[in-house]
Amino acid sequence: MENEEETRMKRLMSKAKKGLDGLKKDMEDADESEISRKKRRFAVICVFGIIMSVIAFLISISISSGGVIPVSEALSAMFSAIGKGGENLDVVELYIYQARLPRAMAAIGVGAGLSVAGCMYQAIIRNPLVDPYITGVSSGAGCFAVSIVAVGLSFPFIGSGSLYLIPAAAVIGGLIAFGATMTVAEGAGGSATNYILSGVIVGFAFASVQTIFLSLAKDNLTNIMWWLYGSFANITWENAWIVFVPSLGISVAAMVWAREFNLFMMGEEQAKQLGMNVKLFKRTMMIVASVLTAVCVAFVGIIGFVGLVVPHACRMALGGDHRLVMPASIVIGAMLMLFADLVARTAMIPYELPVGAITAMVGTPVFAWMLIKKGREYDG
Amino acid sequence: MGNLLEIRGLNKTFGDFDALSDIEFAVGRGKMIGLIGPNGCGKSTMMKCICKVHEPSSGTITIDGNDVGTMRPSEVARLVASVPAEAGPTFGMSVMDMVMLGRYPYINKIWWEDPEDERIAAEALRTFGIYDLRRKQVSLLSSGERSRALIAKAYVQEPKLMLVDEPTAHLDMKYKLQVMEYLRSMSKTDMTVMVAEHDISLMARYCDLCVIMRKGRIVTVGDPKKVIDADLIKNVYEVDSRVGLDEDGEIYVLPKRYVSGT
Repeated sequence: MENEEETRMKRLMSKAKKGLDGLKKDMEDADESEISRKKRRFAVICVFGIIMSVIAFLISISISSGGVIPVSEALSAMFSAIGKGGENLDVVELYIYQARLPRAMAAIGVGAGLSVAGCMYQAIIRNPLVDPYITGVSSGAGCFAVSIVAVGLSFPFIGSGSLYLIPAAAVIGGLIAFGATMTVAEGAGGSATNYILSGVIVGFAFASVQTIFLSLAKDNLTNIMWWLYGSFANITWENAWIVFVPSLGISVAAMVWAREFNLFMMGEEQAKQLGMNVKLFKRTMMIVASVLTAVCVAFVGIIGFVGLVVPHACRMALGGDHRLVMPASIVIGAMLMLFADLVARTAMIPYELPVGAITAMVGTPVFAWMLIKKGREYDG
Repeated sequence: MGNLLEIRGLNKTFGDFDALSDIEFAVGRGKMIGLIGPNGCGKSTMMKCICKVHEPSSGTITIDGNDVGTMRPSEVARLVASVPAEAGPTFGMSVMDMVMLGRYPYINKIWWEDPEDERIAAEALRTFGIYDLRRKQVSLLSSGERSRALIAKAYVQEPKLMLVDEPTAHLDMKYKLQVMEYLRSMSKTDMTVMVAEHDISLMARYCDLCVIMRKGRIVTVGDPKKVIDADLIKNVYEVDSRVGLDEDGEIYVLPKRYVSGT
């Protein structure tokens, strides 16, 4: 009986101590400077992000349609293949070096790039439904890519069978559509609503031309369907760098203006009143975000969901400060894309699924859960 | 010690529409100024011209001896702050995040603010009684708290002139008076506060000077107790009203009926 009482008291004391510790921690947190708190969170995002991305990367190169190999073996094969400079590789080395490594790199670049582009557009236009394709880049790119396949066109500087034909057409089409959107939006006054409406009408125009080309190219549809639904299947070492370096580079460089994006959250007039050159900033960032989107879609096609939802998820978790939201978007976008690509190439072997469908299938339940938990207090 | 704000021959047109015509007045330091007039009379346009959000079509605006037309936006932002009527969607921004934005004109670093900026922001939050809400999302604040947070953001700009657009819109009586008390306490320092507001009784009670506008022109400028009467209200608002003095000697305005075609 006495023992029972003693145990109960001990348990109570332990609970009280835990409560006190918690309170003490809360009080320490309450006194902490906001800048120090943010710097700490930024460091956590960077460290956590790098660790999680490395883990996702290792899992990604260890699993494929050919089967699963231990991470240590995959890692040693990767280093060995890199050490050999890609020459005289054994089967495992060849598989990892030629098939998995470039895909993983492209997935990291595209995931990060689309997430940051979405984050930038949402901040500039102050509309939660905006995604990286709002300025018509995807429709213009899709229209040109489909027309190349349907009509069998080629550029003077790229041969008709070249790996770069569709990506080049996509970039040219995307930038033409973006130019049209900018021209109409600026002509209408250059407000955020003007950009959305101009992007929508330009997008519709290119999408309708794309539909006509699709109906003409019934026999060649398989050559273009992978691009319209997004896929990393055509990624090789040659183009992986062209996707990875600019998309990650632009994403990281855009973080320099994180505080200006915060300012834009208060509206253009408030940003202008606080001394910002609103017109120049908006134009520059629209161009940067559109180039980033065009780079992402050129080789892997149109992948939805990531650019719309990842920035919102990061804001719900971390608040509205873009100095935290942008680096977190890079990390979460890259991880989601790595995971989606892994599922796309292994879920229904020997078929490869469109990665754009997987990003939505994987991301929707997670985002729905976040929305239920945090939706009431989030006005994005 | 000359005037803080001087406006001479200010005109602003949007296409064929004359939003402001021949605006001229001057105000001193440490004053509370009320901008009164019906919707669309040019109050907000004039405030936007003063803080250089709009470029005037002609005329000059001088603040503390500096011609706004020749100043860089960041220089104007250190002299003038504006408080919008609404915060709009804030995408998960916290109260402290929003108030810290007011320090933007003073920050030279690319990434983080200085501890001094944070100290100023924290002091402003304490002054307006919202320090405990600093980590709360702006979207979760009540209208009264949000209004104070917006004023705190402008306050940390350390301006000489603060422009406040309809600060008591959507507020109940208690918060209306609370916000006006905060604004008046700021005007007791060296700062001049210019408020655009529809509640004429409130303006008459708190303002040292009122600027009455109609259709982009100034009708009159003066001590509210001297210039506000039933004839002026009828001329400006096309409304019959009863204007009287309460037991404290403060003006009250009771609108009675709309008079068309005045």
